[in-house]
Amino acid sequence: MSALPSLRAKSSARRRRQALIGAAYIAPSFILMLIFNVVPIFLSAYFSFTKYNMAAPPQWIGLDNYAKLLSNRVLTEALRNTVKYVLITVPVQTALSLLIAAFIAERMKNRYGSLMRSIIFIPVIVSLIASATVWNIMYQPKGGLINQLLNFLGFDSVNFLGKKAYALPSVAVVAIWKNTGYYMVIYYAGVMNVPPDVREAAIVDGATPIQRFWYITLPILKPITYMIVTLGIIGSFQVFDLVYKMTGGGPGRSTYTVAYVIYTFAFQDKNFGYASSVAICLLIVILLIHMVQTLLFKEKDA
Amino acid sequence: MMKKKNLTPGAVLGIVLVTLFAILCLLPLVYMVAVSFTDSETLYIKLRDLRPSLYNYWYAIVKRDFGTALKNSIITVVGSCLLVDIASAMAAYGFEKKPVPGKEALFQGYLATMMIPGQVVLIPMFVMINRAGLTNTYAALILPMVGAFGIFLMRQFMVAVPNELLEAAEIDGCGEVRRFITIVLPLVQPALITLTIFTFNAAWNNFLWPLIINTRPEMRVLPVTMSTLASNSTTNYGMVMAGATLTFLFPFVLYIFLQRQFVEGIALGGVKG
Repeated sequence: MSALPSLRAKSSARRRRQALIGAAYIAPSFILMLIFNVVPIFLSAYFSFTKYNMAAPPQWIGLDNYAKLLSNRVLTEALRNTVKYVLITVPVQTALSLLIAAFIAERMKNRYGSLMRSIIFIPVIVSLIASATVWNIMYQPKGGLINQLLNFLGFDSVNFLGKKAYALPSVAVVAIWKNTGYYMVIYYAGVMNVPPDVREAAIVDGATPIQRFWYITLPILKPITYMIVTLGIIGSFQVFDLVYKMTGGGPGRSTYTVAYVIYTFAFQDKNFGYASSVAICLLIVILLIHMVQTLLFKEKDA
Repeated sequence: MMKKKNLTPGAVLGIVLVTLFAILCLLPLVYMVAVSFTDSETLYIKLRDLRPSLYNYWYAIVKRDFGTALKNSIITVVGSCLLVDIASAMAAYGFEKKPVPGKEALFQGYLATMMIPGQVVLIPMFVMINRAGLTNTYAALILPMVGAFGIFLMRQFMVAVPNELLEAAEIDGCGEVRRFITIVLPLVQPALITLTIFTFNAAWNNFLWPLIINTRPEMRVLPVTMSTLASNSTTNYGMVMAGATLTFLFPFVLYIFLQRQFVEGIALGGVKG
């Protein structure tokens, strides 16, 4: 009778000890993520209501920064460019990665197909700055590889990064080149998860490859497509390195993007408060995109 | 074998298109390497200009601070991989195997941080690191690398570590820390390799944060040096391309040897997250 409570006390003491040890294991990551992820969000929100340049302490100015956002032409142009950039990159990279993954899984399940997959993935590991540097040189109006090719085919040279109409799409091409392999790998894993008997049943029923793609593969991959589109929108919405290196926002302001504007407001104009208000808006947009994706997922499950 | 899959015109067209796309993926990199071995300062590369001379590489490394940047990048990457691997494995073990109250809610909080865009935390981090006097240090580059993705990845693998094994070791008198190091870590080794690859790439390619936080030339990392190099010498294409090739070389070698882990890690992270 008396042994039981003492045993229970022992086991609860042991549990407490284990909980403490567990907390100690979690602590290092917790402290680092608190400092570098959580605290900055609140600081950012605070800065966004202030006038701040680091030389003097932040000065509370209420909603002034936010009030000035919509009338700022630099920002509205940047937003328009960013949306345009998302609208070019996301559909193209999603469609390309899907088609390539599906085709390789359907028709090239051999060593050649796996070699092609390996090659198409290589641009993923090139740093954005190295990619931007190489493509800058390829885009050179005089003697760049692409213009050499155009001249060879009898066309005039094109100033890809120097013309307002071409600069943004030319940057988008680099992003598509770099991203397609990444999404292809995710799609390929998804296609390989399609049960083989579903495919065989469709073949027995006389479905053509295109019908099988349209009525079987595509619907099964829908959740992955949602995810890839979401990841793609969020990634493209934050484009910085490519713009910084390839165009510096130009010509004019034709390649200013939201992330680039935050950088220039903060680190060139030293206007930390105003830049923070843009950053907080960016955070809200990204969270909204995540919410839409979650809702779409729920709808599918219901 | 080949006859079973009859090659329709559509299939041939598809194979040709996939091959063409693969060539387009490779072409900029082939061009990069070709120009890096060219003496000419124009871009009209003729075959006779190509020579197996490492002059451009020598020039970039010795004369244009690429050596320093290479050293800084390697230190940052090694430090980041060690810190992220250790902190993530520890956290995942704590979350999965220890009865910490409220741990699932905390884990959801961890996952939520994955949605935070880098630009939102950039300004406060800049202010904090400045206040702490950590600008132009390796710590400024390494400490922020720990993130929820690594812990999420490690936890997926931590589930498979059998509790019985840990209990048996405890009964045998194997201490807490020793159990973690000699039993848990070896069992989650595949996940550690995948996480190392991811961290390596993230740290190696990181640009905006090192650009603003480590401004002293002797503390710059490769992408930052690469970026200033290309702007200051617009005509010395060979040297710029040598720099780009050097930047690409390390992740590429890693990819050649660990391709399976690269791809599986992305598929895993992608399909779940």
